[in-house]
Amino acid sequence: MSAPKTIPKDAQVMIQILKDMGITEYEPRVINQMLEFTYRYVTTIIEDAKIYATHAKKSSVDADDIKLAIQCRMDQSFTSPPPRDFLLEVARQKNQTPLPLIKPYTGPRLPPDRYCLTAPNYRLKSVQKKVSSSAGRISVPRLSVGAVSSRPSTPTIGTPSVQSVTTKVGTPVSLTGQRFTVQIPPPSQTASTKTTTPSTPAVSNVLINPSLIGSKNILITTNMVSQNSAAESLKRKHEDEDDYDAL
Amino acid sequence: MAAVQGGLVDAVEKKDIKTEPSEDSGGNNNANDGRLLSPPPGSSASAPGGNKPPAGAPEDQQTLLAVLQFLRKNNLAESVEILRREAGLPEDALDLKAGDSAGAGSGGAGGTVDLEGEDASSLLSRVTVSSSAAAQAPTKVTPSEDQPDVNVVLSAYSQQGDPALYGVYYSGLKRFIESVLDCHRAELSQVFYPLFVHMYLELVYNNHENEAKVFFEKFSGDQECYYEDDLRVLSSLTKKEHMRGNETLLDFRTSKFVLRISRDSYQLLKRHLQERQNNQIWNIIQEHLYIDIFDGMPRSKSQIDAMSGSLAGEAKREANKAKVYYGLLKEPEIELPLDDEDEEAENEEGKPKKKKPKKDSMGSKSKKQDPNAPSQTRIPLPELKDSDKLDKIMYMKEATKRIRLGPDNLPSICFYSFLNAYQGLTAVDFTDDSSLIAGGFADSTVRVWSVTPKKLRKVKSAADLNLIDKESDDVLERIMDEKTASESKILYGHSGPVYGISFSPDRNYLLTCSEDGTIRLWSLQTFTCLVGYKGHNYPVWDTQFSPHGYYFISGGHDRVARLWATDHYQPLRMFSGHLADITSTRFHPNSNYVVTGSSDRTIRLWDVLTGNCVRIFTGHKGPIHALAFSPNGKFLASGATDGRVLLWDIGHGLMIGELKGHTDTIYSLKFSRDGEILASGSMDNTVRLWDATKAFDDLETDDFTAATGHIHLQDNSQELLLGTYMSKSTPVIHLHFTRRNLLLAAGAYNP
Repeated sequence: MSAPKTIPKDAQVMIQILKDMGITEYEPRVINQMLEFTYRYVTTIIEDAKIYATHAKKSSVDADDIKLAIQCRMDQSFTSPPPRDFLLEVARQKNQTPLPLIKPYTGPRLPPDRYCLTAPNYRLKSVQKKVSSSAGRISVPRLSVGAVSSRPSTPTIGTPSVQSVTTKVGTPVSLTGQRFTVQIPPPSQTASTKTTTPSTPAVSNVLINPSLIGSKNILITTNMVSQNSAAESLKRKHEDEDDYDAL
Repeated sequence: MAAVQGGLVDAVEKKDIKTEPSEDSGGNNNANDGRLLSPPPGSSASAPGGNKPPAGAPEDQQTLLAVLQFLRKNNLAESVEILRREAGLPEDALDLKAGDSAGAGSGGAGGTVDLEGEDASSLLSRVTVSSSAAAQAPTKVTPSEDQPDVNVVLSAYSQQGDPALYGVYYSGLKRFIESVLDCHRAELSQVFYPLFVHMYLELVYNNHENEAKVFFEKFSGDQECYYEDDLRVLSSLTKKEHMRGNETLLDFRTSKFVLRISRDSYQLLKRHLQERQNNQIWNIIQEHLYIDIFDGMPRSKSQIDAMSGSLAGEAKREANKAKVYYGLLKEPEIELPLDDEDEEAENEEGKPKKKKPKKDSMGSKSKKQDPNAPSQTRIPLPELKDSDKLDKIMYMKEATKRIRLGPDNLPSICFYSFLNAYQGLTAVDFTDDSSLIAGGFADSTVRVWSVTPKKLRKVKSAADLNLIDKESDDVLERIMDEKTASESKILYGHSGPVYGISFSPDRNYLLTCSEDGTIRLWSLQTFTCLVGYKGHNYPVWDTQFSPHGYYFISGGHDRVARLWATDHYQPLRMFSGHLADITSTRFHPNSNYVVTGSSDRTIRLWDVLTGNCVRIFTGHKGPIHALAFSPNGKFLASGATDGRVLLWDIGHGLMIGELKGHTDTIYSLKFSRDGEILASGSMDNTVRLWDATKAFDDLETDDFTAATGHIHLQDNSQELLLGTYMSKSTPVIHLHFTRRNLLLAAGAYNP
């Protein structure tokens, strides 16, 4: 290197190592990256070895501690693929089962929903609020977003008797982007929301423009229950079922 | 006796060998070698990784003999006598014990790792085949070979002889081989490399560091130039611990390196090595090498060089003997509609309708089954949906407008350069009708572009879908969202560079595989991720959809290729057998076979139905990165880091051509739609066109060639090269022929 400033010794060593391993072309940042890796690896090993030495109540770290530290790190970070005999055996077993027949006339051929990434990644909390009087007022919806990736159920707007999240039979495959469905509790006078009010709530769809969340649309359906009984309330459309039509 | 049996290790047969030690017939020794094979899948259940020996008298017999040897070695004469009397062993059983040598013990790899501490001291010596060495052997040599079934005490891997003398043995062999006749020398020189590597590894494994270093320095320079990379890796491997994590090397040690040598040369070698002082090398050869003997003329250096280079030697002849159905599946006959009102009728018989619509000319003309084609139901394939039939009709219409290519009618090449990719472009794919390009990048994103002026649209959200009129005629257009239409879409989801990308034939799905070990299925209707297939826990280097859709294949760092179906979250088939990473995976046009190219420099053809490896092709000198089947399914072209394109005949299992010209790794290969031209793209920024019809034309595949695998490659690369097209410092990583035979190429501009 004909640079006016000298290269530090460890960088020179790294250059030499790269040369010995036959690597002739590399970006200059590779040396820094390798040095950082070396530093991190060595300090990790030595720290681990110190822990093992203190555990064994030794006064100083010796070679056995280092060896143990290296071994443990190997099994943790630098795992290698399974050995060939194991793979051969597993392959033999797997290849014995015949290829499954393909059912005709199905829609998109995807694994069971549990194994897909198509479920919504949120969950609703049930909200129980006491609301005062006037009919048709939309109360502020409570929206809680949780990272639920494995729950197959989608919160639905079920019958008014059920305000908590229900499991829908036949998990919908929502192929459209992310949708947030928020349930607004009917502003009923009774505190307990488990009453079987005969009134069917009315629902209207309000689309909120994609805001901070990118191209996600927030769909808010509101249950507007008139204070009076069922007669005046609008029939709720079962648009949930429609929403979940697979595309 | 031509072929060597490569059969299952039969315990009973081992015993038979014991009693005929010095029968100096090639056949017997070959049988010996043959039975020492690594147990193929399906062999004794105890073999793979099992630690307990299978029950049975022969095995116990060997155990007893081993124990006897041990006692004898430690001069416990009385114990020896007592044990022998009680066990009822014959006096001379000890001396005549054959090399029950190493099996490429599947247990070997597993067992040896446990035995780090147990070195020569706890080992048992077994006398090898030649009786002449019997007297000397116990004092000089303590060979103890692995057995497929691992009994911990018995299976320690100890050295064959004094480490300091390895150099002497090797130079002795060198001198001998240099002194033989020219015609035999080339063949016998094949022995050098595997012998060198195995001896070196043995020295390292048994902790003879200094001797190993000396040995390496002395003889590494003699090896063939194409093994240079391997030797460099070996040079950094000086301690036993270095070997522990290196699966490839462990597999190499336990598997047998295959050599194909003519009978005459083999006799020469054997005679020389069975002399007293050369016995050590003979032991090592028996243990680590599988010599596939053929009758006939010894091969020349160039013939040998063409086929060698892989990590496991060449392919045994039996490996390439299975029947392969390389023909194409019959296309379903679809009648082209005369006008819109006619419905397409799909039936095999082609019943004429009243208006006599045109029958498609692309369908099979004869109703007879091609003997080389698999039956339609060999593997389950998805039925054709209406949209697929429409696609097929489009395909046939375009096919009629296809340009016929030839040496005098070269295709035009349209190059898609990815700008500002900052060397991050790692994978590219085109749809079959060339309407979409997808690129996978090192920053873990996937981008899809539309090649045609038609923008990319995704399906509307549920709320909007609710509002459209479902009964209208153009409902399929109405469901698309115009507001977010764009030229390109970005797909986020992977957590590592995306190394492989593949469109489904029906253009509904996109498959990507990445360094994070997962394969993701994306929907091209909604541009979201649908499924993540987890199975490989290590980087997946390549993936491809089957030409019929539904199935896809992936191969990665764990040396296994997996066949998946989109509706199963676990793989359906696992193709295991390669010694190193699988770098490239491709489907055969009839979807019944899958080809994988690997870093161990071999190419394997696998049967989807059974999961068996039906062909092994060796000859490349570097990891294989490009594979392409010819449209008629008969031939395979492969490209590797050595810059050569090799052509293979699948039916016979032979190499039929070699195209030299590229100077750097070849990353893409594609045949034109009718198979007349082969296009290759490489890191040296060029696209080269080769005359495929001429290359496949004059084949002398008579029985002799097929039997012995002798190939006579003509050096006609220059004649076959039709054109070289340089790009402006843009390596070519993908090639695609449109349906009308226009060549599209893609690469990232790399100033």
